[in-house]
Amino acid sequence: MAAPSYGLIATFETAPGLYHAAEQVRDAGYKNWDCITPFPVHGLDKAMGLKRSVVPRISLCGGITGFFTGMSMIWWTGAWDYPLIVGGKPYFSPMFAFPIAYELTILFTAFATIGGMFFLNGLPMHYHPVLKYEKIRRGMDDLFFIVIEARDPRFNLANTQALLEKAGGKDIKDLET
Amino acid sequence: MSTHAASAPVPLVADSSIASSANKALIIGLVGIALTALGLFVSTPTAVALSWLVGITYWTAIVIGMLMLVLIHHIFDASWSTVIRRQWEHGLASFKWLALLFLPLVLVSWFGGHHDLVWPWMDPHHHVHGGTVGTDILYQKKSGFLSREMFTGMTIAFFIAWVWLSARLRKASFSQDRDGDLKWTMMNRTTAAMGLPIGALTLTFAAIYWVKSLEYHWFSTMYGVWFFANCIRGALCFGVIIMVWLYHRGDYKGILNTNHLHSIGQLMLAFTVFWAYITFSQYFLIWNANIPEETFWYNLREINFDGAPNQWKWVGMTLLFGHFFVPFFFLLSYRFKVTHRIIRGIAYWILLIILIDLCYNILPALKDAHGNPLPFISLNLLWVLTSVVGIGGVCVWAYLKSFPTAKLIPIRDPRIGESLTHHE
Repeated sequence: MAAPSYGLIATFETAPGLYHAAEQVRDAGYKNWDCITPFPVHGLDKAMGLKRSVVPRISLCGGITGFFTGMSMIWWTGAWDYPLIVGGKPYFSPMFAFPIAYELTILFTAFATIGGMFFLNGLPMHYHPVLKYEKIRRGMDDLFFIVIEARDPRFNLANTQALLEKAGGKDIKDLET
Repeated sequence: MSTHAASAPVPLVADSSIASSANKALIIGLVGIALTALGLFVSTPTAVALSWLVGITYWTAIVIGMLMLVLIHHIFDASWSTVIRRQWEHGLASFKWLALLFLPLVLVSWFGGHHDLVWPWMDPHHHVHGGTVGTDILYQKKSGFLSREMFTGMTIAFFIAWVWLSARLRKASFSQDRDGDLKWTMMNRTTAAMGLPIGALTLTFAAIYWVKSLEYHWFSTMYGVWFFANCIRGALCFGVIIMVWLYHRGDYKGILNTNHLHSIGQLMLAFTVFWAYITFSQYFLIWNANIPEETFWYNLREINFDGAPNQWKWVGMTLLFGHFFVPFFFLLSYRFKVTHRIIRGIAYWILLIILIDLCYNILPALKDAHGNPLPFISLNLLWVLTSVVGIGGVCVWAYLKSFPTAKLIPIRDPRIGESLTHHE
């Protein structure tokens, strides 16, 4: 037998064709698969059965961390490590710590959002098996693809191929890892 | 001319339930106004007048917010908000009635007693500590701006500007429904380009004359922006309430989708943060600079002259948590923004808290014999309530009267197709 297969790739010529095929793959219960399109196809996430991203939750954690970092930093510098009266104000007040805490909330939220997005997408990724496929560049131009990975528990070469054919996929190929 | 008539089913019949709701709103409004008038036999005229000022400022703020949102919609050539824009245009029908309802406050300033029933600076003999308004250097320096003539002329100018801009927006939008001519879109853009600075200036000066000048010693450069934040938040909340109402009534079926609610919810979140930013900045700058001419305004709202905390301190805390933290954390959630019942609940909550915000800014002008502000929880709250219901009834009536005069959505707007298929 040749090198282990990464999965199957099928070509679709139109966005509606891909959209309805995605619905069929979703309904067949596959989890490890993806669509490759030259532009965002609205509603495709629903057709693929994708849930909303969890990035906002990571952002919220980042924001809360930033807020408390800002508050405790001002408290630590002004009231604990080197107590100093400035402008007749108390050593610590959330009032003047607020601008710092607010800025760090935004900064840490941004870091958490970018970081969370990279992490969840598995970025940076320098190699992906579909890149070996000679037609893949047209996925940035005028063709649509569905890739079903062999590691999906439901993957079965014959059945998956039959599903993609039934869904209207053309030119179904086995991808090397 | 190319037109893009909407293909969605649009029920256009002026049904009788709207007409009867309009009558009910008008009756509720008139009862509220009558009850407020009865208040004159129970409380002092100043207390009733300031409660009326809370009511009229509240509803004017909401309608100004609608005006600004429609102008912003046109200046950005926005698409998703096209389906809700028409309802804000109906809301603009209230401006002329608000002008009429503001009239009593102007009249008592000219013909009522010593002219100082509402705004103390209108009477040069009004007693301020250490002298009278007329001998007060801070008044003398501001007297070119703070005079009865200026106040009256400016207030008339505000309402003329708002009624005029509203009339232009409504005419262009409603006419386009009939002929689909793109010149109406161009006219709306012109109105928006000149209307936004006019709107910004008029709402700022309205906030200064009507509300801020109650304590004319005070300085705050944030005041107009604070008022603007409340205006927009009020109008967005009404937008949500109307969207959910029309959806469940059946009109918006096939028109409204989840993404419209998500988008307006995002704006509500943005303006919640904006309000907090402005309100905190005002407080923080005054707290940090610690100058008596500025701090007295917050001192009044925290402690009495004997140093004991007063009720307004707790009202301020209610604003901090209720006007910012509660809506902020609720609006962070996607699910809450798109669940009809929840987003409508948040909208009602924000509308209530805007009213409390206006009470916080206006009612401490009512002082007892020692110069301490009268407490928040008092009979005056009843007159605030009757004023809000009274003026609100008239505004809702004006909206419902306008509602059947135009199609539900601007069916020939160039952006209506995009709006109907609005997606993330």
